[in-house]
Amino acid sequence: MKRRNALAAGIALALVFGSAIAGNDFDYCLLCHGTNANGNYGIRAPKISGMEPWYLARQLENFAAGVRGTPADDVAGHEMGPVGMRLKAEGTLDAAVQFIGKLDSKRPAPTVRGDVAHGKKLYENCASCHGVKGEGNPALQSPALAARSDWYLVTQLINYQKGLRGSDARDTYGAQMRAIVATLPDEKAITDVVAYINTL
Amino acid sequence: MTNKLSRRGFLNLAGALGGSTTVYRAAMALGLLPAVAHAERPQLGSLKKPKKVLILGAGISGLTAAYELSRKGYDVQVLEASFRAGGRNMTVRNGDRIDETGFPQVCNFDKDPDLYFNCGPARIPGHHKALLNYCKELGVELAPFINDNRLAWVQDDAMFGGKPVRSREYMTDSRGFVAELMSKSMTPEQFAAPMTKDDYDRLREYLRFLGNLDPGFKYAGSSNSGLAVHDYTNPDVLKKPLDGRELLKSRFMAIMNFGETDDQAAMMMEPVGGMDRVPAGFLRKIGHLVQLESQVQSIKVLTKGVEVTYRRGGEYVRAKADYVLNCIPMHLLAGIENNFPKDFSSGLTAIPRGKLFKIGFQMKERFWEKEGIYGGISWTLQDIQQLWYPAHGINRQKGVVLGAYTFDPNAGEKFARLAPADRFKLAIAQGEKIHPGYGSYVESGVSVAWHQMNHMLGCAAQWDEELWKKWFKTLQTPVGNHYLMGDQVSYHPGWQEGAMASAHHAIEDIDARERAAGAVAA
Repeated sequence: MKRRNALAAGIALALVFGSAIAGNDFDYCLLCHGTNANGNYGIRAPKISGMEPWYLARQLENFAAGVRGTPADDVAGHEMGPVGMRLKAEGTLDAAVQFIGKLDSKRPAPTVRGDVAHGKKLYENCASCHGVKGEGNPALQSPALAARSDWYLVTQLINYQKGLRGSDARDTYGAQMRAIVATLPDEKAITDVVAYINTL
Repeated sequence: MTNKLSRRGFLNLAGALGGSTTVYRAAMALGLLPAVAHAERPQLGSLKKPKKVLILGAGISGLTAAYELSRKGYDVQVLEASFRAGGRNMTVRNGDRIDETGFPQVCNFDKDPDLYFNCGPARIPGHHKALLNYCKELGVELAPFINDNRLAWVQDDAMFGGKPVRSREYMTDSRGFVAELMSKSMTPEQFAAPMTKDDYDRLREYLRFLGNLDPGFKYAGSSNSGLAVHDYTNPDVLKKPLDGRELLKSRFMAIMNFGETDDQAAMMMEPVGGMDRVPAGFLRKIGHLVQLESQVQSIKVLTKGVEVTYRRGGEYVRAKADYVLNCIPMHLLAGIENNFPKDFSSGLTAIPRGKLFKIGFQMKERFWEKEGIYGGISWTLQDIQQLWYPAHGINRQKGVVLGAYTFDPNAGEKFARLAPADRFKLAIAQGEKIHPGYGSYVESGVSVAWHQMNHMLGCAAQWDEELWKKWFKTLQTPVGNHYLMGDQVSYHPGWQEGAMASAHHAIEDIDARERAAGAVAA
């Protein structure tokens, strides 16, 4: 019992101390997500600059609460989970969103190839929420899809399909995505639709 | 007439049997020829006029290059992203911060020079010449490191219901079992090459000694597995051999020869007071050249020189240099703006990153010493894989034990996902199988998930034969005046010696270019 208390005290202190020294220094976001948070395929960290602040905040909250990043096979999610928890525990989640918002967002070079014409047809299902130009719709809480890391869109669509994302009961919007992703029957459909999104 | 061969005579014989390569190697082994191993340090020429060199990263390769170049008239600056220098050479003591992106920790060990934990490299073999040479030159005191201890434990749920056995019992009894079986079952006809009766008898003799068999080629136990009781007022009593079939159920057989491998065999060394005495030694000489908390954001290779932009205190700073030596882990470099040619930048994302994980526990009592274990490693087939007992501070009250060191990336990920307190809980539960009551000794812990550490996000680059063939030369070859460095650009990733080899390789190349340009003083 005594030992457990000593350990717990150590962790609590670590969190407090960690917060004190980290301050508002969010440079570690750029460590993973790259220069200006424009993404780094090298460690599968997507572009997050240019994301809507409300969307970014919601995802960070999801990571902090374990709504995202918890399934055993979501290896990349496992790495983001603790960061969400840290931002939440330190009370710096909103400041991090603001930090990302000030970065110089750049359209990433396309990496996904597919049948654009076929993708365009499939995208009709997506457009009602995410907009015909992939510009997103805040009223529906749907983020923009244009100018994101295309490989990441593919990963996330697959994650929705596999239930690695959107399976948590608290993830209302994720559940909607899980339902709609059923209209993309296979991986080819996914790369086709992302290839089309690259043209938006 | 003598039947002793002179050394020269032996060489002639070796030549007759194996050709000149054999002669050459044998001569080297006998010390008749100088070994043409890599020099302990490169012999650089002094510049007539300083050249500006920016080194990105104050890990072992960066510090090595900075130390060597700054002695020869190069104007060196080292930019380090972290709040500390050393890279993966990292030792934590009381109050030290462990900068993990999601789970930052502080080391709460007692304030005591003996209570430290080497989070990265922790041992040095005698053939790591470059590193040992720098240790000598920089006044880094070394002590023996115990890597292999036959009194340490081997534990596997697959054998003996998970009950641990002493390492020497596993080794001796499994060898005895196998040697007895082989000596009983082999016949001269089974061998491809013809075997004389003498050959065959000698082979059986070899097996007899290998397995400690009795004159009837039966394994009836051996004192090599440890006596049943060490009571020297009475005759020795051997332990009953363990069931060979049970021993062979364990995959420990794959780890069994760990202490015989090229880099892990005795005699190993460690710096007194922690492995970070190595970077501390470099910093005593060139600490003034290192600027911390400077995170690189862009690299532009110019027709002459290289331009680097970095972030410091929230501001962007631009710097230009004649040469850039880049030690940034390549999986991070891939996310930094650059103008590298496509074939080079594709290589940066092609090599998987390592995911090693370590835990260190401060123990309130050195309970392992009561079990006769002084230093060395216990092995388990559980996630934690190994327990290390400190070779320093023997007989003192407390000690820091390594409570997990995973090689398997899945095990590393399993721990990394957990908050530190849960990592400790899991490691303690597994340690209990080796030392009952283990958890009751734990006073505080530190954990290091290298693939989640700030400015690292990975351990040694995971090269394999195919990747080496495809990418190594491309990544090692400079792009203009930009050189990629670090243990990641060596055939010995995960070792400081590999980092130093890459640094030497790069600065020798620069030296050759400067010499060719007539910029080196005669």
